[in-house]
Amino acid sequence: MSYLREAELAADFAPFVSFREHFGFVPGLFRAQALLPRAIEAEAGIAAVVLLKQEALSRVQKEYILLKVAAAHHNTYCVTAHHHMLCSLGVPESQLNQIIIDYRRADISAADVALLEFAIKLGKHAPWISREDIVTLRNHGFTDESVLEAVLVTGLTNFLCTLSVGLGPAPDFEPQKVYCGETSQQLNYQGLRHGESSGSYLRAVEYSAASFPPFAFFQEQFGFVPNIFRAQTLRPDVLEAEAGVIRAVLLTEDLLSRVQKECILLVISAANLNTYCVAVHCEMLRALGVSVEDSDQIAMDHHQTDLSEADKALLDFALKLASRPAEFRLEDVNLLRCQGFSEEQIMEGVLMTALTSFLNTLQMGLGTTPDFTPKRVFTPKDLYPFHAQSRPISDAAPSEDPDAALVARVQNGEIDVFEELVRRHSRRVFAVLIGIVGNMDDVRDATQDVFLRAFEHIGSFQGRSKFSTWLISIAINSGTDFLRQRKPSEPLGEVSDEEEGFRPRQIQSWADNPEQLCAASQRSHLVREGVLRLPQKYRVAVLLRDISQLSTEEAAAALRLSVPALKARLLRGRLMLRESLTPYFIRTEKRNPDAQLR
Amino acid sequence: MLSCADFLAEFSDYLEDAADPDLRARLEEHLHECKTCQVIVDSTKKTIRIVTDSDSFSVPADHVESIVKDVMARIRDKKR
Repeated sequence: MSYLREAELAADFAPFVSFREHFGFVPGLFRAQALLPRAIEAEAGIAAVVLLKQEALSRVQKEYILLKVAAAHHNTYCVTAHHHMLCSLGVPESQLNQIIIDYRRADISAADVALLEFAIKLGKHAPWISREDIVTLRNHGFTDESVLEAVLVTGLTNFLCTLSVGLGPAPDFEPQKVYCGETSQQLNYQGLRHGESSGSYLRAVEYSAASFPPFAFFQEQFGFVPNIFRAQTLRPDVLEAEAGVIRAVLLTEDLLSRVQKECILLVISAANLNTYCVAVHCEMLRALGVSVEDSDQIAMDHHQTDLSEADKALLDFALKLASRPAEFRLEDVNLLRCQGFSEEQIMEGVLMTALTSFLNTLQMGLGTTPDFTPKRVFTPKDLYPFHAQSRPISDAAPSEDPDAALVARVQNGEIDVFEELVRRHSRRVFAVLIGIVGNMDDVRDATQDVFLRAFEHIGSFQGRSKFSTWLISIAINSGTDFLRQRKPSEPLGEVSDEEEGFRPRQIQSWADNPEQLCAASQRSHLVREGVLRLPQKYRVAVLLRDISQLSTEEAAAALRLSVPALKARLLRGRLMLRESLTPYFIRTEKRNPDAQLR
Repeated sequence: MLSCADFLAEFSDYLEDAADPDLRARLEEHLHECKTCQVIVDSTKKTIRIVTDSDSFSVPADHVESIVKDVMARIRDKKR
């Protein structure tokens, strides 16, 4: 059973025969595409050359990549399938479990550890890949041929993961627990791509379009041979198979139109911060009669264009599938059905999304320079949390999250472990709620509700932010909902420029040790009164930063604000508090004779 | 030389020690000359210290345990 209508294909359908021969079964993922046999054929072609053909990397190394990158995506379907394949390749289950739990400590070579590190980074955090990562692989003895294969297998994994989320087939075997508990490696901002790379990372061979059929095909279809394909000439057979996928998925026009498909490529590439693919597909849309300005607007925000409602829904669908796979559901498929899309068209939408993910991953791994001057170059600023809501990659370099291991266990069904998370965070959630709601009543129940909501949705938490930041976002939403039920209030996330212009009025000097001027209980009363009197948006900023001790970046992410906007509100809140506390803490002879001695 | 308004515009990064060395030097130059801004910096730092150290919004320990108990009971109830 999958989301879309299924069909029966003849028992001798060639790709299925080949799957049975190589895998021992026909994966449900391919059965789910029986409405589009041409797509299955093209995918089988890619799988044959990238996965099954023994060239530079061994089949086991490739399966490790598939397993670990799928686990990093929390993709139960693919993890289950490749766990099974590794077992049938003779890898002992104990070693497999060790790799799943912590590959760095598993009984595999240092080179294989480096290979998996590279693949996970490329699969999940592609914009951080740089030439340095390729050098690291070479230092471990990998040839350019092996690196190309690693990039291809990672691209294939992202392709298959996207397909399985979009089509929703049931796992072929007893589902494996998806555990990816290793904390992400600290990523170096210096390695961040700026959209202009110095050229392909790998050695390539020159072919002319006249004598090399895949290039002749690209030349004829696109009017040029894109650099992303020129960078893969070490594997002519792969280029042949890729041309086959493009022919079967992108160039057919009987279901979705070519413009619709190019728009999917464009929107997801932009969300993936892929300067190269955005430039190429803007150019292709131009050739199809869409102006560069219109394409650029589609890439930035397709809702602000005059595309039809159906096309906007199609792009929403693709974007959700690519960016927020954990939230993707049958309802998303039904939304397209309501817009009048046929089963086959929806399937093509899924296929195009998967193809984009494949091409984006390849490009980031190969480092090719754009074929055209990009109208828009994605830079590190595009990674700021404010813009990152819909981006598939993390909005900041992933950092160690002290809760990651506990969260992974809860996600794997160990309900009792959640207790420790509640214990760790209830004070913070409580404080945030008081800050928003503005009084102590009702907050106890509201705190419980926040944790229940978090538990309900923990499956969709993917570690793009810290667990604590995610939890606080939930608390902020719950608190705001609660307030809204009582009285209309301004939304916390609203951007406003009135942060400017607040000038301090009180300029009397404070005592050297103001804390000595009143008892702790009185101070805490003064602070509580002062904070609760602040306008809501400043109150929350002060609460998150100064009372809950979040970093500026975490507080901004929790409030879905840009860092500068958060800083402005925080400063305003602090200055207002300063005004209200000043009368109690100024330096006077009467209050603090000690201060005069200095 | 920076004006007080310039100073306040950069105040946030100064407080967080996030201003780059060049900007920091210019801010300190202003601060050295300006009594008003000195007072504002000093009192704002103290405000933050008092707010951060106060336990104005803290939850008593037995409160925490009762929240934990209730949340887990409701979760297990739902799972049943």
